Amino acid sequence: MHLADVVFIIILLITMAGALITVLSGSIIYALMGLIATMFGIAGMYVYLNAPFIAMMQILIYVGAISILIAFAIMLAGPMFKRPKEWTKPVKFISGAIAAIVSFVLFFTVVMRTEWSGIKAAEANMTTKDIGRALFDRFMLPFELISLLIVVSIIGAIMLALYSRKEK
Amino acid sequence: MCDLAAIINIIGKETARLILGLIGVLIVVVVNALVLTWVERKVSGHMQKRIGPKEVGPYGLIQPFADGLKLLGKELLTPANVDKPLYYLAPVIVFIPVLVSFIVIPFDGFLQVKDINVGILVILAFSSLSVLSILIAGWGSNNKYSLIGATRSVAQNIAYEIPLLLSLLPVAFMANSLSLRDIVEVQRQGWFVWRWQFFAFLIYFIAATAETNRTPFDLPEAESELVAGFHTEYSGMRFALFFLAEYTNIFIASAIATTFFLGGYLGPVLPGIVWFFIKTYFLVFVIMWFRWTFPRVRFDQLLNFSWKILIPVAFANLILTGGILKL
Repeated sequence: MHLADVVFIIILLITMAGALITVLSGSIIYALMGLIATMFGIAGMYVYLNAPFIAMMQILIYVGAISILIAFAIMLAGPMFKRPKEWTKPVKFISGAIAAIVSFVLFFTVVMRTEWSGIKAAEANMTTKDIGRALFDRFMLPFELISLLIVVSIIGAIMLALYSRKEK
Repeated sequence: MCDLAAIINIIGKETARLILGLIGVLIVVVVNALVLTWVERKVSGHMQKRIGPKEVGPYGLIQPFADGLKLLGKELLTPANVDKPLYYLAPVIVFIPVLVSFIVIPFDGFLQVKDINVGILVILAFSSLSVLSILIAGWGSNNKYSLIGATRSVAQNIAYEIPLLLSLLPVAFMANSLSLRDIVEVQRQGWFVWRWQFFAFLIYFIAATAETNRTPFDLPEAESELVAGFHTEYSGMRFALFFLAEYTNIFIASAIATTFFLGGYLGPVLPGIVWFFIKTYFLVFVIMWFRWTFPRVRFDQLLNFSWKILIPVAFANLILTGGILKL
């Protein structure tokens, strides 16, 4: 086994463990910690794939901004210290199992049907400049659509906040 | 004697450099904290017409060692109802960003553990981990003061991370690089404080003071209302780790300001590393100066200041810089 494989397995274990903690833990703060571990695992995967810029962006945005915002929301909303494990109830367990199996089958078929080709050497060395150029050139339309989506969600958030203020 | 060259040959040059660099970083972290605790007391003493520590050693110079030994010798108290895994994890996590940030800071032309071409992103990405550790500490302690401190810290961090990023970006634009060494090298033509980016420097410095939780922005640990904020329940060496991290964060914030705006290791006559430390410690002194001369701000003032003044000004500066560069 190469050293690279060991690194890959460690990253994989961190990601999987984080995901399991997120789903299974009873405390919402632990779930958040698990989510952060998963984000770090994914960032590690980007480093492993020789994309340090995307890895750093992953940490900056998902750990530094989104997870911290989630934490803030938890603290504002009044956290539950000990939540009963609801997934042991039969109805929830069965519906959860069905959802999990269906999405697993879907992902599995997609993964198996796709023809995976290795990354070409030229593509592997994407610099920050290349990413910026691709974003504003080839992928201009999706990029602008995403910003439109964000604007819509901002307006929605402002409307919600305004209405709840007026009611008081 | 074991043969150092042979070991380096086995593990490879890059790895050896990284390991040696990390050892050096650990030494710098500890020495820096020892020096800064002494300096802070002396500065505060003289600013308030007191003397500060003077009994232990000449000018009280050995006082930090005495304090360190005391902290090492103290019992590690664990309160009964804490959330144990989180409580133990927090002082460990607080050290990750500290160690990672040091890797990319160029102390001199050649004295840098590793020059990464997205260097500044590494520092900014990992600096958000320190607020995570405060959050864990506040939550895990199971104490109302800790939790309020942690909540404040999160709100403050969200507010001040944005101007911090926005004030560093124009410099990266002008240097046309995200590597810290390139940014320093570009400043051979003149420091960025004087080349158009004075406002960015001001914004960065204010935001950095807030990010390191220093007075006038030290609401997460405001003594008069929250006992000690997020580290109320920590004692002994665990408390010392938070303390070490705080002083190292001040050093890193100043070092980044030096690198981005004050020409880093550039300077006449003296070797680069001396210039780097002179500039950095001057900024550290300014941050201490803030602490002992400004009163603490109120929480709404703190947030309003960032969202209504710092962020718009930083945005305007960013757009102006980008526009002028492309004209």
